[in-house]
Amino acid sequence: MNWLKIKYAVLTVAIFLPLIWAFVYVRNAYPVAAWNVMMAPGLLEHGRTYWVLRGETVSGATLDIPAISLTNALYARTWTMVNATVDNQAFKITNPHPANAELLRQAGGLEQLPLGARLPDLLRAWGNLYNERLAPTSPQRLKAIRLDMYRWEGGSYAGYDNFIQTWRQEL
Amino acid sequence: MPSSAFALGVARVVVHSTFLVSVLIASFSAVGHLPVTILRPAGVMKLLPWSFYDRLVTPSGMTILKVVMVVSLLLSTTGLFTVVSTKSSFLLVLFYQGLLRSFGHFNHDEMLGVYCLVVLAFTPCGDEFSLDQWWNKKRVARPAFAYAYPILLMQLLMAWVYFSSCLIKLRAGWHGYLSPDNLPSLAIYHSLDNLHDTAFRLAFWLPQFKAYLPVLVALVLLWEFFFPLAVFFTRLRWWILGGGVVFHLSTLFFMNIFFPHQLALYLLFVNWDRFRKSD
Repeated sequence: MNWLKIKYAVLTVAIFLPLIWAFVYVRNAYPVAAWNVMMAPGLLEHGRTYWVLRGETVSGATLDIPAISLTNALYARTWTMVNATVDNQAFKITNPHPANAELLRQAGGLEQLPLGARLPDLLRAWGNLYNERLAPTSPQRLKAIRLDMYRWEGGSYAGYDNFIQTWRQEL
Repeated sequence: MPSSAFALGVARVVVHSTFLVSVLIASFSAVGHLPVTILRPAGVMKLLPWSFYDRLVTPSGMTILKVVMVVSLLLSTTGLFTVVSTKSSFLLVLFYQGLLRSFGHFNHDEMLGVYCLVVLAFTPCGDEFSLDQWWNKKRVARPAFAYAYPILLMQLLMAWVYFSSCLIKLRAGWHGYLSPDNLPSLAIYHSLDNLHDTAFRLAFWLPQFKAYLPVLVALVLLWEFFFPLAVFFTRLRWWILGGGVVFHLSTLFFMNIFFPHQLALYLLFVNWDRFRKSD
């Protein structure tokens, strides 16, 4: 019984000590979580940028493509993956992927890198996933996929869809 | 408070089957198509070399990961080789969730479940309601504390999730949080794109009721603050958990943000011993 109590005490401390540290410093260091969901209040004055994924079919139509239908395993993390990819965050980490390190070197530094340097790779992957599910002769196949960037300037509950720019990838 | 080997066995099934279902419906091979160059390894995931990710994040690499996870979670859910399978499931889920967060961000839905997997990996959750028990026949004599405490610990973890979430918001500035524009502007932002998992548009109704919304937000903060009472007071428990169901469904329909794994774990608050005694 005493051994069991010691074991459970160790288990409790091993779980809760990192959680309390994360809470005190409001730090998320996987797998240690601070529950800071929606910590920052929404401010109407602040503008916000968002993206819409669209496809252009071989028959000439333009479709909205919900990203969850392509990579459902990412569940709830797709929008931040796109945020991070547009913002070149994979190039800002201390140990970037060797291919990213090489691209950075070729570009001459982070400042010289265009916004969304790896976005064409992501769009190509999503476009190919979409087309893989269709017959080779289907008119619904995509000839291009694009990410349209919009901005809600804030200040009022209107003007949500100010178009900013597009990243387009031929397939 | 449930205190039997049976109740802890049911808790094992609840937690492990939640992840089993989530892994079964996820397309791992699609993740394998994503470029590894957009990965930003999070936390302990930084310890693994890039060459490992280069091999893993491919359609075949991710399919192998899925097969291994399904086998492990099937064993741990049904309670076969429980001592080993609960640990392997914990490690595999920990790794997989870390990989997904390395693509996106450190969201919190599955994290409570991951901590419950830790608890179950180091407690006798296969003594009953498991294939191990059916196979071995012999009963292991353990005190009730051996089964009751892990269940309490998982309930306390859930209480911590909500309670600490409330305190962090209050620390960050409760007055901003209770502003009439907080909820409508956040909800609308999460309803504009098509990168969220759902595309509900109810958020656009909120501005016309914004004068009343600070009261609603304050009630949510109070509910989070008092959530720990659900652990200790059975009479309050179902009101508090019912509030949780309403809260999580509201975030789904108004914000396109949902916590299904966390909701499934509300079943840890059911006194399963009661069902067994009525047999």
